Parts: sequence; C-alpha cells; structure tokens
Amino acid sequence: MLGLIKKDLLMARGNLKVIITMLVVFTLVSINGNGNFSFIPAFISVMIMMSTFSYDEYNKTDAYISSFPKGRKNAVKSKYLTTLLVVFISIIITFLLSIAVGYAKNSINMEEVLSTTLGCGFAVIVIQSILYPLIYKFGVEKSRIGLFIGVFAITGIASIFLKTGADINIPQNIVNVLNNYYMIIVPITIILILFVSYEISKVVYLKKEL
Amino acid sequence: MKNAIEISNLTKKYDKFELGRIDLKIPSGVIVGLIGENGAGKTTLIKSILNIINIDSGNIKIFDKDYKVDESVIKEDIGVVLDNMFFPEILYVKDINHIMKGVYKNWDSDIYFNYLKDFDIPLNKQIKTLSKGMRKKLEIVTALSHKPKLLILDEPTSGLDPVVRNEVLDIFLKFISDEEHTILLSTHITSDLEHIADSIIFIDKGKVVLDDIRDEIMENYGILKCDDKYFASIDKKDIISYKKNKYDYEILVKDISKISKKYKEAVIDKITLEELMVLMIKGEK
Repeated sequence: MLGLIKKDLLMARGNLKVIITMLVVFTLVSINGNGNFSFIPAFISVMIMMSTFSYDEYNKTDAYISSFPKGRKNAVKSKYLTTLLVVFISIIITFLLSIAVGYAKNSINMEEVLSTTLGCGFAVIVIQSILYPLIYKFGVEKSRIGLFIGVFAITGIASIFLKTGADINIPQNIVNVLNNYYMIIVPITIILILFVSYEISKVVYLKKEL
Repeated sequence: MKNAIEISNLTKKYDKFELGRIDLKIPSGVIVGLIGENGAGKTTLIKSILNIINIDSGNIKIFDKDYKVDESVIKEDIGVVLDNMFFPEILYVKDINHIMKGVYKNWDSDIYFNYLKDFDIPLNKQIKTLSKGMRKKLEIVTALSHKPKLLILDEPTSGLDPVVRNEVLDIFLKFISDEEHTILLSTHITSDLEHIADSIIFIDKGKVVLDDIRDEIMENYGILKCDDKYFASIDKKDIISYKKNKYDYEILVKDISKISKKYKEAVIDKITLEELMVLMIKGEK
C-alpha cells in the first residue's frame, strides 16, 4: 500500500507549479489587502486528489493495480490515506502562510488563524468523503459535475437563508454542548464520516468491473 | 506435472458477449499461447484469472490455491502486462521502482535497473514521452522485476519492432528455462507463438475451440488445396472449414497423414497458426 501512496504523491508533482504560483499570488494579495487563506487546504487537496483519480482512470491504472497483491483494497485505502496526508500538509502550509502574512501586516490573531485553517481542513475532508464513493461508483467526470452542482446548491441555499434572514432555532443546550466540546466533537465526527465513506468506497470498488 | 492455472466451468456474461464455459489446465513450466480474433474473449479470460472482473460462475485455481481466498499470496508470484493498462503516463520510469518496492515483497531494484539498461530505457523520462515500443518494454520489465513464477501477458509484443520482439521472446524463453515458471501469453502475432509456445489455446466467440500442444497442432492440421471438381469429391466429414479462392479451394483438414493417404492426388500444405485461426474463424463449414 505504501507503494500506491507514493504513486499518488509522485503524481502530485505535476500540480506543484500551479499550487506554488497560487500560493505566491495569494500571499502577495493578502499582504497588500484582505486576503483569506482558508480555502487553500480545499484547493490543494481537491486539485491533487482529483488529478490522481483522473490519471488513474485515463490510463486504466485501476485495472492494472487490481493485479497487485491486495490491489483493490489497497487502492481505496491508499487514496484515503493520501488524502489525509495532503490535507494535513496543506493545513500546515496554510497555517504557516497565515502567520507569515500576519507578521508582515503586524496583525495576527492566532486563535482565528488556527480555527479557520482547521475548520476548512475538516470541511474539505467532509467534501472528499462524500465525493470518493461517487467517484468509485460513477467515475471522475460525473462525480466532478456532481461536486460542482453540490457546491452551488449548498452555497445557494446558504445565501437564501442569509438574505431572507431566516432564523434557525437550535436548542440552547445543543449550542452549549457544541461550544464546550467542539474540539472533541468535530474531530470525532470527521473521523466517523471518513470511516463510513471509506467503507462505502471499499464495498463499491470491490464489486466494480474494471 | 503441477498445474499453474486450473479453470473449471468458468462463465462470464455481458449484454452482447458470453465467455464460457471454460475448462482449462495450464501446467507449470510451459509457455501457453492464447489466440483468437478481437473480441473473442482473451482479455476477459485474463481479467477473470486476475480477478479484475467478477465471474458469474466457475472455479479458478492458481498454484493450487483458490484465486480469491488466497489472492494476495498468489499475486505476489504473478507478473502481468495488460493491454493498454499501466501506470499514469505522467510518472517517470524511475518512479516505478519507488512504487513497486512498496507493492511486491520480492521487488528487486537491481533486476529492474539491469533490464532498463539492457533495453535502453531511459530512467529520467516520463512514461508519456516513451515510444509505443519502449513503453511496452517498460511494462514487460516491470512485470519481471519481482521474480514472479507466472507471467500473464496480454499482447506483450504488440508495437515492438522485430529485433526487440526477438529480444523479448528470448527473455520469455529464459524465464521458463527452469521449468518452474509459466507464461500465459495472448497475442495477435501468432508467428511469435510458433517460435516459443509449448501449447496453444484458441478462443472463438467466448469458447475454447482448440487446446493442444503446439507441435501436435502443426503436425496434425494442414491445408488441402484443390480445384472445384476435386473439392466436390471430398468427403464432407474430412472438411473442418474451407475458403474458396479465385482459382482454388483451401480446405482445413485434421490428421494429415490419414488425409494424405485418402486423397493422394491432393496437395496438403503445412499450416501456420495464422492460417489455422483465419480458416477456423472465417472459413465456411
């Protein structure tokens, strides 16, 4: 399985130039204005992982990998582990850049930097947890379209709520629990979502005709 | 002699194609050639053996082990070249060594680099920049570098020039020389099989129509050539299939020593695998 993780990381080299360029541009924009780095973990990990899925599909690497020992199981496992690794690395990059920009602008709020970066990192894990079973079932192209539709739908619904000023009534005791224990609740929820997603992907992929 | 692969009652049904029932035994220490026209079921059979597709029924044993129960153990000892299925083209030749070290317990970097050197495959090039032949050689080298006992090769020599093809065939011959290694090789280049295969499996429309030792096939089958008048006098039971040319008939016959005694005036030529394949598939019956 280590070999397949290496494969995806070696493939990520192809995206490095674009990622570095984007990071430089956004760092400069942030230093000179009101930049926001929070989307970077999503940008990096979705870009890298989607391209690995696309290349695998285009070169029929999935079928080739199936001829390896534990090929199918490891193929799924390695995608999830590589995703976690990429998200982790991109969170660190984002965190360091946010601190650097904060120092450059002489205004830094460590708690805010940490919470937004981690929050976005977790959010992207949730997005990818939804996306991967779809990729294994329907292929990259259809899932990519599904991702766009999903993102637009969520953004649309959220903006409607914000514009209409709709009041969402969450019971106060739930709000209190979330406020007090979010550092435990959020990671556990993320792990659970990721685990369920992995199990679904595995079942789908083991049955798939390659 | 032990069997490297044993297949019994294998079936696989698609909307417009059905493979099976297939019963095959491939002994260890031989090169078996799998022939048949496009869409005959060769790749489906290979994918079934490798558990890349799910079969509808049947049993497959590899090295005397169930191909699903002991899949990971079995696959440590199988090297594959699949038709148009390989690593992503953006990877470099040297990357394959890093990847495969983490895939096969027996991966041997020295073997890999030595083969690359022998075949003049550059290390620092992306797969997409290699010529078709070079890429095929890389796929073969990759299949050989974890010291497999069984090679399953789907069109391994397509795209190779005659010189390199011969080099590759020599490697295959060397590979089975200790009689413990086995090769199942599907190809359209039937002349390759006439040089190296010990036995031939011929698949047509999803069914095995011929499974025999190569020398037996070459000695038993022949083409009887005759004119219209002579053709009419031939016992229909002796005709497997025939092709009518402009001036003569080409008749596929079996048991040529018996046939040549029966039809003393007729000319019976030795057959090539290609002629056998064409006459069996396209010949009239």
